[in-house]
Amino acid sequence: MTTTLAGGRAARRQTMRRIRPRRSPATVLLLAVWAGAVGVLYLWWHNTPSVADDNSKILNAGRITGLLAGYLMALVVLQMARVPALERRVGSDRVARWHAMSGRYTLCLTLAHVVLIMWGYALQAGKGFGDIVQQTIDSINQLPDMGKAAIGTGLLFLIGLMSIGGVRRRIPYDTWYHVHLMTYAAVFLTFWHQLTTGNDFAVEPVAKTVWYALYGSVTALVIWYRIFTPIRLNLRHRMYVEAVIEETPGVVSVLIGGRKLHRMGAEAGQFFRWRFLAPGMRFSSHPYSLSAAPRPGMLRITVKAIGDHSERLRELVPGTKVWAEGPYGALTAQRRSRGKVLLVAGGVGITPMRALFETLPGAAGDITLLYRANSTQDLALWDELAAIADERGARLMYAVNSPDGERPDISADTLRRKLPDIDKHDAFLCGPPGFAQGVYDALRGAGVPARRIHHESFEM
Amino acid sequence: MRKSHPVRRVVLATAATVSGVVLILSLKPSTDPASAQAGGTVPQQTAAGQESAQGGAEATGGTVTGDAIQTQYGAVQVRLTAANGKITKAEAVQAPKGGQSDQITANAVPKLNQATITAQSAEIDAVSGATYTSDGYKKSLQSAIDKANAAATAPASPAPSQSSEQGADQGSGSAEAAAKTVTGDVAQTQYGPVQVRITVSGGKITKAEAVQQPTGGQSDQISGNAVPKLNQEAVAAGSADIDAVSGATYTSTGYKESLQSALDQAGG
Repeated sequence: MTTTLAGGRAARRQTMRRIRPRRSPATVLLLAVWAGAVGVLYLWWHNTPSVADDNSKILNAGRITGLLAGYLMALVVLQMARVPALERRVGSDRVARWHAMSGRYTLCLTLAHVVLIMWGYALQAGKGFGDIVQQTIDSINQLPDMGKAAIGTGLLFLIGLMSIGGVRRRIPYDTWYHVHLMTYAAVFLTFWHQLTTGNDFAVEPVAKTVWYALYGSVTALVIWYRIFTPIRLNLRHRMYVEAVIEETPGVVSVLIGGRKLHRMGAEAGQFFRWRFLAPGMRFSSHPYSLSAAPRPGMLRITVKAIGDHSERLRELVPGTKVWAEGPYGALTAQRRSRGKVLLVAGGVGITPMRALFETLPGAAGDITLLYRANSTQDLALWDELAAIADERGARLMYAVNSPDGERPDISADTLRRKLPDIDKHDAFLCGPPGFAQGVYDALRGAGVPARRIHHESFEM
Repeated sequence: MRKSHPVRRVVLATAATVSGVVLILSLKPSTDPASAQAGGTVPQQTAAGQESAQGGAEATGGTVTGDAIQTQYGAVQVRLTAANGKITKAEAVQAPKGGQSDQITANAVPKLNQATITAQSAEIDAVSGATYTSDGYKKSLQSAIDKANAAATAPASPAPSQSSEQGADQGSGSAEAAAKTVTGDVAQTQYGPVQVRITVSGGKITKAEAVQQPTGGQSDQISGNAVPKLNQEAVAAGSADIDAVSGATYTSTGYKESLQSALDQAGG
């Protein structure tokens, strides 16, 4: 008895040696963003000797909002440059939420900038707020680069309009995505008027250089990580569809072959954006998680047919070429800070959990997987999970609706009853938004601190 | 997965942005002519502020610096040097810089300086192609003149007046023989006011120029083309009986009207 205990401790120590929680760089990045904003405001402060009357107050408010909008615009683009530090360390889901939030804010600043500046110019010309439209037309005609800026701003507002929740749900994803790509053109068009008509850049050569550096480095990152990196990845690994397997009704696994796939740097819990070069599918790419740890000759994704694209996956012919971008996502073993781990999966959210269940280091009894589905028939990959659980001595639980359709009770109390030491666990969570929120609240109620609940949610 | 509160977030972001902008604007000094310029960050301005104070003390001579006027392209600020109630020197201590503005400023500012000395008032022509700079220059110039007038209670200081006569030998008595400058009434046209100034010597028009003409947008081009022609014609004809320039009918009509009023004044 004593020997087993000692052995257990040794094993635990062994496990812990491999656990080095990596902190998300989010805080540092946010501080840098704020510091940059302060720098931009200093630029205005430095170049503005005084603000006299109402007219110059309006104009200067317009300049401040314009400078901030120009600064944030670069960051909004940067957030979607697929920089590994953002995608894999901060997490693609969180960065996408930052992008949406800062994008909305930047558009509001842009609107304020346009209105304030044109109002200010109208006052300067001895006209009133009512002449703002005429003033805008005059300025576009007379000032350098304003025509371009007007087109760019119009595009930005169109893109913003199409991204509003209600509008976006009504248009196909591909349409939305391709319109969204025009942001690059819009930002390019609006860039030039900042330098030619912006007081601060006309006066300060240093400021001009900094602005070129900001936009130049963002452009370089976009080109590198969105174009060159995927090209290199796909030339190196040459992926194709090896087989399509139906797991349960409506859930299919796609096996993907290729060269040296274990060298892609993908970890359990991560996803790729997949583009299948089959008719009707080549123009859209979709994010699907790996449902097994990568092996040298094979990757596997498991997908539930809920949309057009996922429906078509079952018709994929073996041999179809695959273009993938990734790996992305921060829901990996790196997040773990404790020896014991509870994995919670809802429905097809099992895919990253399945990969983690297989690969997370741990002694017998350290890893627990709770799998929620509508019925036992919907428990995709169940046989594999049972095999892994047997092999590793891990615990596997499931919760399904009762025959009369009643939902299982996943609350703080039931979690504590099943796992008395739940507050010593790290929790990984993946599932539909409502489910994830419910489990999150239950975990918090059971005493798991927020910093040890790791989840990925692509809800905006 | 903390709960998100979209409405609260929007309200907070708006409130923070608006109050931030208002705060930073209110922290900037407002242009209280002398003190604000002395406190400004541009070294040129500090110097100007000091000189301005000296100018005020001397009352009749010295330099006066006008308000800094913000234009679309940057600030314009004029400094005047006056002696015996006359503007002897005008210069811009601030003017739009950077990119295209360098070129425009280099072209326009010397012309405006010259025009100021000639006109002895803020009634100067806008330089075509530099409408905003000219506008800012005139406003700053006017504020400098106002300050000079306020500082020097002496009536000899230059007073802007649209139809005042400002000849070289003004008040000397030999009106017929000497050259005399007369400014006509302002004639309003559809595109803006037109005002003509003529120099009469020995009963003849020796020089005609427009002190005001339509500016802005296309008008810059039309005025730039038509006005020199009209000036030429006025000198050649010696009367207001001149041909309209084609393509600039309204400006020509206004010009003739103002020219006639100037001739009436010179004759009467």
